[in-house]
Amino acid sequence: MFKELNPLLHSELRLAVMSILVSVEEAEFSYLKQQTGATAGNLSVQIDKLNKAEYVEIIKTFKGKMPCTICKITRKGLEAFEEYVDALKSYINK
Amino acid sequence: MEERKLNEKESLELITQMIQNTKNRLETNCGMPFLLWGYTTTLISLLVWFLVVTTRDYHWQYLWFLLPVIAGTGTYLSVRNQQPAVKTHLDKVINHIWTVFGITGFLISLLAMFFWQLPILFIVLLLMGMGTALTGLVIGYKTVIICGTLGALSSVGCLFYQGFNQILIFTPAFIFMMVIPGHVLNHAARKQKKS
Repeated sequence: MFKELNPLLHSELRLAVMSILVSVEEAEFSYLKQQTGATAGNLSVQIDKLNKAEYVEIIKTFKGKMPCTICKITRKGLEAFEEYVDALKSYINK
Repeated sequence: MEERKLNEKESLELITQMIQNTKNRLETNCGMPFLLWGYTTTLISLLVWFLVVTTRDYHWQYLWFLLPVIAGTGTYLSVRNQQPAVKTHLDKVINHIWTVFGITGFLISLLAMFFWQLPILFIVLLLMGMGTALTGLVIGYKTVIICGTLGALSSVGCLFYQGFNQILIFTPAFIFMMVIPGHVLNHAARKQKKS
C-alpha cells in the first residue's frame, strides 16, 4: 500500500532545505543558499511556503550590523519530514 | 536547484546528500576556545607560581581572576566575530558541556578562595579534563579524547604536591589537555576546508 507523499515536501528545493534543517540545530539563509545552489529569490519563496505550513521557523536577527535570517525546523516540520520519509520507504520497498 | 517534482529515488538521494554535507563539519578556528583558555591558564598559573614563590605573598593568587576576564572576553569576541552560518546539534551539546563545566569550575574556585580549603587545582584539572574528553567523544576526535582523559587523570598528581608547587603539575597538564587539542582541531578544520 503506497502512502501519499506530502506535496509540500515533494519538491527539490523545499526537500533540500528540510533535509539540511533536519540535520542541524539552525542554519542561516546564506548557508542554505550555498548548500542548495538556489537563487536568493527562489529560496526565499520556498522557505516562506515552509514557514506558512509551520514546518520552518524564521528568526530575523543581526550579525554585527548586517541583517541575518536564521531558519530552524519546527516539531511539526520534523514530524512531516518523518512521515515523508516513511511514505518514501513504501515506494522504495515495493 | 529549482522547484521541481522528484521521483522517489531522487528524493532519497537528495535527502542523503544534504544530510551528508552537514555531517562532521568543523568550523575554521574551532580550536580557538581551547587555545585561548589553554595559553591564558598556562601564563597566569606560571605567573602566580613565580610571584608567590619569590615574594611569599599569597595575595598574588587573586591573579587567577584574570583568567575568566582575559579568556572569557577572548572567547566571547572570537565567537561573536566568527559566528558560523550553521549551528549543528553537536555545537549545541558542546556549548552546554562547557557552560556546565565552566560555571562549576568558577563557583568551586570562588568557594575555595574565600570559604573552604579545597584542593582547587585538582578539582579544576579534573573538571576541564572531563570537559575536553567529553568534547572529544561528542565530535569523535581520538586525540582530543586521549588528551582530555590523560589531563583528568593527571589531576591526581596535584594531590601529591604541597601548596603552590601543585602548579608545576597543573600547568603542563593544562598545556597537554587544552593547547594540543586546540591546535589539532584547528589543523583538522583547515584540512577539511581545503579538501
